[in-house]
Amino acid sequence: MPPIPGSGLAKGLAVTLRTMTKKTVTEQYPDAQPELPPRTRGVIGLFEENCTVCMLCARECPDWCIYIDSHKETVPAATPGGRDRSRNVLDRFAIDFSLCMYCGICIEVCPFDALFWSPEFEYSETDIRDLTHERDKLREWMWTVPAPPALDPGAEEPKELTAARKTADKMAARQEVAQATERHADEQARAAERPTRPMGDSKQQTDQPRTDHPRPDRNQPYPSPKPDRPEQEGRE
Amino acid sequence: MNDVLDVTLRLLIVFAVFLAFPLIVGQTEHKVMAHMQGRLGPMYAGGFHGWAQLVADGVKFAQKEDVVPADADRRIFQLAPAVALLPYLLVLLAIPIGPGEGAVGQVVDAGIFFVLAVMGVGVLGSLMAGWASANKFSLLGGLRTAAQLLAYELPMLLTAASVAMAAGTVSLVGILDAFEWWWLPWQIVGAIVFFVAGLAELQRPPFDMPVADSEIIFGAYTEYTGLRFALFLLAEYAGIVVLCGLTTVLFLGGWHGPRGADGLGWVWTLLKTAVLAFVVIWLRVTYPRLREDQLQRLSWTLLVPLSLAQIALTGIVKVVIQ
Amino acid sequence: MTSAATLGHLAADSTTAAAESQGFLSPTGVEVAFLLVGLVTFGAAVVTVTTRQLVHAALWLVVALGGLAVEYLLLTAEFIAWVQVLIYVGAVVVLILFGLMLTRAPIGRSPDADSGNRWAALTVAVAAAAALVWVVVDAFRTTWIDLDGPAAGSTAVTGASLFQNWVLPFEALSVLLLAALVGAIVLSRRAKANHVTEAGRPTGPNGSGKDGVR
Repeated sequence: MPPIPGSGLAKGLAVTLRTMTKKTVTEQYPDAQPELPPRTRGVIGLFEENCTVCMLCARECPDWCIYIDSHKETVPAATPGGRDRSRNVLDRFAIDFSLCMYCGICIEVCPFDALFWSPEFEYSETDIRDLTHERDKLREWMWTVPAPPALDPGAEEPKELTAARKTADKMAARQEVAQATERHADEQARAAERPTRPMGDSKQQTDQPRTDHPRPDRNQPYPSPKPDRPEQEGRE
Repeated sequence: MNDVLDVTLRLLIVFAVFLAFPLIVGQTEHKVMAHMQGRLGPMYAGGFHGWAQLVADGVKFAQKEDVVPADADRRIFQLAPAVALLPYLLVLLAIPIGPGEGAVGQVVDAGIFFVLAVMGVGVLGSLMAGWASANKFSLLGGLRTAAQLLAYELPMLLTAASVAMAAGTVSLVGILDAFEWWWLPWQIVGAIVFFVAGLAELQRPPFDMPVADSEIIFGAYTEYTGLRFALFLLAEYAGIVVLCGLTTVLFLGGWHGPRGADGLGWVWTLLKTAVLAFVVIWLRVTYPRLREDQLQRLSWTLLVPLSLAQIALTGIVKVVIQ
Repeated sequence: MTSAATLGHLAADSTTAAAESQGFLSPTGVEVAFLLVGLVTFGAAVVTVTTRQLVHAALWLVVALGGLAVEYLLLTAEFIAWVQVLIYVGAVVVLILFGLMLTRAPIGRSPDADSGNRWAALTVAVAAAAALVWVVVDAFRTTWIDLDGPAAGSTAVTGASLFQNWVLPFEALSVLLLAALVGAIVLSRRAKANHVTEAGRPTGPNGSGKDGVR
């Protein structure tokens, strides 16, 4: 059946009229904060405790925008008669965000999960030199990093958790034998678990289906030494 | 003395309408167009949903430098905005919004002719602007304006004549006095042709070939800045008000309404005018711009035959019912 | 302009020949305005034919025609006045401007915008004006329009006199227009036929005749 003449014109009018009655997509940004998806590449946060100054991030950075200074310290032996250990201590960790192209390679290559994407994006400056942010600022941004999304229902347990549990089980078994050291082993197991993230390398999990309702665990900060984070309010 | 006061008052009211209504239409266009495109439109000026956006625009225009190109024909260049704007002010004088002497600026005996004649003069402003700017894009815009006017003036006149035939008078007030509700279906083709031709004469989208920004920048108004540019814009919106008011009066029965309470006729007129203004905006948002040849073909091969058919129909019905 | 002038005569014809008490020495406001507007119209008309700037000439023509419309208004011929504006200012001048812009419309003076036979033109113009003035004066002599009574040139009066007393000239004029229309069609059709036969190639640089014109 041939279309009625003018039906296309009417259809066009209907489309615009329908759009008018729908809610607009405009985000009134300065008045209302945008609702950003998880894994937004806003800024890079640094979790200093995990950094071993391996320099991988600085070396892999295509823009050479990461500056790291460090020195070596000697840690006295933990047990009497043991050998002194040496470790790297971070003196300076700075990222020049006027050079950074937000590729995220530094975060990918970090073997100890010291760098994270934060959705924070309001850090413009009037002087380009002020865009080089030092470690204290990077650390502040660390507290704005959202918790990783939950695993799929049938997902395999992350290997870090498996390893930690295995260690814990082993220790617990040993403690069965030696009851006196139980408390100590338990603490060790928890220590093995904390610095890593439960998802393992969750940056590769961006293709996870994003659920529209906020997940219950999203507001719970993962590594969060601070009890509360005021910047996070109103963002979610 | 009383007469002088009366005339002054009428002129003042028409002038106020002339200044206020185009701004209201413009603001509505901002908002309606935005929402039809899923946006919000102006939100800041004036505080509440950007109601004062056009006032702010006017202040901005007034502050801008008034530039006249070096090669331009100075006097004509400067005169053109006035020629474009003033006719619409004159037309507003003759449009009745309610029954009786009190609701029209000035009763004009040959109302239809007055209104159409003076509206045609307004286009002269665009022509003058296009020629005097010494700019090839302006000249092209002026040419397109002229071609468009020549093409669309005819169907507009013919459909207006159809209404005049139906009413047996060319006075706008007389037409409204003679109006019956069944004129609506009788003259519907004429109404559509009149409205479309009017849109084309105002160079409103989708008939905005003379100001097609992607081709000729802004047509005849390319070289204008500041207040003179604002006057051209004001002329466009005043033209919308006039066209909608005229269509209301000629085809939609003006102050007649289903609940035709005396004294509230002007509400009907304003309501119909507002709805038509909304349609003008709606059409602008919905349809893409017609190409120049499509524009001419629409007029000569569709609107002119339709208006002639409407005249024939009007004549037949008129003879039959007598 | 002839048709409008004829109509003007018609309107004036139907006025009341009254008021012998009118005198030249006590002009009313309307008469003064009539004279002033007439002067402006005359001046604009003179500038129209003497200026060397083509587009200015067309725009001065607008002033002259508009002045004429105002004169009609002052003579209570409202309908004629608006038709004058509609046809001459709104359509004819726009057409003239369109033609000027389409061909050539330089800003500034055009030295060649002059005719060698200006004296012949002036003679014809003066003769035509004299004939018109003589005819009008002879026809109306001391007839005065009663401004206070019902409008003598209203649409109804004009229509009645046009279609009762002056039907024949009116129809003759429309036949003239029809002839012009037919002539235009014939001219354009012949041009197209010539173009096609001369060109002989369907997709030349100018395309086929019809599209080339468009």
